[in-house]
Amino acid sequence: MKKTIRVTVNGRLYEEDVEPRILLSHFLRETIGLTGTHVGCVVGECGACSVLLDDKLIKSCLHFAVQADGCSVTTIEGLAKDGQLSVIQEAFVKHYALQCGYCTPGMVMASHALLRDHPQPTEDEIRKALGGNLCMCTGYVQIVEAVKDAAKGSTHV
Amino acid sequence: MIRFDYLEPATLSEAFSLLEQHGDNARVIAGGTSLIIWMRQRLLMPKVVIGLGRIPEFDTITFDRQEGLRIGAGARHRDIELSPAVKQHYPLLHETFRKVAQPRIRNMGTIGGNLAGGDPLTDPGASLIALDAGLTLASSNATRTVSVEDFFVDYYQTALEPGELLTEIRVPPPQRPGWSHIKFTPRSIEDFATVGVAMTLRGKAGSCEDVRLALNSVASTIVRAKRAEAVLRGQRLSDDLLRKAGEIAATEVDPMDDNRGSADYKRDLVKVLVRRAAEQAIQRLS
Repeated sequence: MKKTIRVTVNGRLYEEDVEPRILLSHFLRETIGLTGTHVGCVVGECGACSVLLDDKLIKSCLHFAVQADGCSVTTIEGLAKDGQLSVIQEAFVKHYALQCGYCTPGMVMASHALLRDHPQPTEDEIRKALGGNLCMCTGYVQIVEAVKDAAKGSTHV
Repeated sequence: MIRFDYLEPATLSEAFSLLEQHGDNARVIAGGTSLIIWMRQRLLMPKVVIGLGRIPEFDTITFDRQEGLRIGAGARHRDIELSPAVKQHYPLLHETFRKVAQPRIRNMGTIGGNLAGGDPLTDPGASLIALDAGLTLASSNATRTVSVEDFFVDYYQTALEPGELLTEIRVPPPQRPGWSHIKFTPRSIEDFATVGVAMTLRGKAGSCEDVRLALNSVASTIVRAKRAEAVLRGQRLSDDLLRKAGEIAATEVDPMDDNRGSADYKRDLVKVLVRRAAEQAIQRLS
């Protein structure tokens, strides 16, 4: 039986009828068409689907959309402001912190949540915060460099 | 994903009546980090999923010097990790929850879901056994208390009866100031443990008055190593004695070969890690 849910995504309110079995990741991509959130493993291993749910970093493939009724979600599409990439996104570009790009939305969301709570993280803290995001291309080095750089260059993310 | 109906009770008593009404067809969901995976794998195929996320005060954490710590079953791993009361009075729990999976899973998964899942690979149960914690299991017409130690029955099997929910975790006031938590992982920090060891210890001047020791990832349940405890309890502590405690603990576990290591390897790890845990716990006494 479908349920009507109201979810605010990147500041815009969506009211949609969804089947309970629809995962939040699929709701974002297929129901409301925000395909920036990637879906990799769908069992909570790869982290590509990470978003902020009520400001907490979560894996949207381990969450049913119906559980998010009344909540607010920030996805990768919500980070750029007025066509300007966020400091973290710019740092990822500058440091070649991606190749195929599949893991990138999750990496950027995790970095965003980290720098919001800890603006000056150590390398160890960066690596721990990115734990749960798998990248098959970069070997992680450039990603860590990008986050370090973003932390250096920003008063806010 | 299988099809199911989703119901969201606004109170605990409403949750109990839904559980009664739907019986075996129903499963409860809190954080979802275990249940959704099991549903995807078709290990569980509930017709009804009951969401506990809207039950008020289900995630409350309170501390009292006489009563100890009370953790609502809906508290997330991250809530416990970051709780000032936990950090101050139960450093073992703080350390344990800091090491559960990685931050975004800790933002989702709950302690109740973790324990009720009965998965022997996870960390919280061992530390709760080492702290002699108890669980409140409630249904529409009764409430009972079970020790965490007795709660785990077999792989994914717990003492929960049909219609019952785990509602609260109660940890006695801190009694054994020495403690250690060692999580040995096969590759990266967020893996399940190859072997996990949790210990609390009380004593002075190089002797052990009391000790509790529990291990995860080494048997069909999280286990308490009572014979290894007995080796240490009431004794003067020496290197030989700690080594012996490790050797005895290794006879109390029944690990499996898997991608985290062979059974023999895990047993060897138990010997070493129990000794190291005891060394750390003793160090923290002073």
